Amino acid sequence: MIKKHFYTHIIDTSTLSLELGEMDMASDERLHLLSLVESNIHQTILDLVLSELSEKDKRTFLMHVASSSHDKIWKFLKVKTKNIEEKIKKAADDLKKELHKDINEARLLSHK
Amino acid sequence: MYNSHYKHLSEKWRKKHQELQKQLWGRHKSSLEWLSRNSRQLVAGSLGGLMLLSNQNVNLSSLPQAVSAKEAPQAIDKKTFLISDLEGVLPKEVRALTGEEEQKVSEILSRSFGLRASAELQGKRLNRSYGFIGQEQHLTRYPGDTMSTHFDSEDEVKKYWDQGMAPGRGAWGYFAHSKESLTEEDKLREKYYIAVQTFLAPGFMDHVKEYVDFFKYRKMLIVNPSNGMSMIVDIADAGPAEWTGKHLGGSPEVMKYLERVDGAWKGPVLYFFIDDPNDTIPLGPIKPV
Repeated sequence: MIKKHFYTHIIDTSTLSLELGEMDMASDERLHLLSLVESNIHQTILDLVLSELSEKDKRTFLMHVASSSHDKIWKFLKVKTKNIEEKIKKAADDLKKELHKDINEARLLSHK
Repeated sequence: MYNSHYKHLSEKWRKKHQELQKQLWGRHKSSLEWLSRNSRQLVAGSLGGLMLLSNQNVNLSSLPQAVSAKEAPQAIDKKTFLISDLEGVLPKEVRALTGEEEQKVSEILSRSFGLRASAELQGKRLNRSYGFIGQEQHLTRYPGDTMSTHFDSEDEVKKYWDQGMAPGRGAWGYFAHSKESLTEEDKLREKYYIAVQTFLAPGFMDHVKEYVDFFKYRKMLIVNPSNGMSMIVDIADAGPAEWTGKHLGGSPEVMKYLERVDGAWKGPVLYFFIDDPNDTIPLGPIKPV
């Protein structure tokens, strides 16, 4: 992960980094792909969390995100949502599976 | 010529990025727009807040591939993350940082620039590490150095002539004994200098010589937290006076690079010591790694 987000400690993207690390590409290209991974995970998780909150609570959550108040985010989410940690993990895992599939597809294409 | 793995994945993941972005904004538009109107980061025009809004400003698909691969992660991500990280730690008002705040800033700067930055070094510290910066003038580098001998190029003259030259010498006197003995290092020390309130440093009055020796040309990392512009600078003068309401001063070159101005529009900077015992970190602009 390039930046530490409130969910960074529960999401492991090292398998993606390792797979990209084994592929034939320049380091700046790899860095760009990792930034896309991060960005896609970030949007997926924001969408998931916001979908669990009321309009009023969405604003509180976004302000905490904007100020990187990770402790406040978790305290808030524990009160306002149910099993959010598990839901975040699952959403990230589903996305990671898709990204791994894309990597495998890219490998197969280069062998044709 | 692009590598086929990279090309395939970057196209696919950029498309996914756009779809996710569209979905996010479609579902939560009013809340995200509300944040846009109320976030200080956005008001300040920094990219940091925008990045937090799921990169809605970064249309990756519109970037030429060469740019998106080579510049986007470096020019956008790293500096915006620095701005965003600092935003989460710095107080809303410009005041001296607490020990805890200094520690957090120190960690952010050290991590962002790949060096050791701290408010205290070798048991010595300044009166503060976050404060308003004012405009200083050029310093006389050697006896006989004037505005007409001070610059190396016409471009420098155009950019930095207006600030003029300080009537006296810097706190440590001339940078060199003569024009002939002026080294590149001397030039850089004058070009990228700051003036700090050494006389207000805790312990200064009890150990004047020790502190003067410590501060002389001591390297610091200076950061404009509003835009992430950062430089390695050195202490080459003492000031400004307390009554000015400013806490440090920057050479014309430093101020221009940081995009800070004096007067009613003055703004704050962070200034932290860097631990560079072997003198390997060059003076001048620095970017997050």
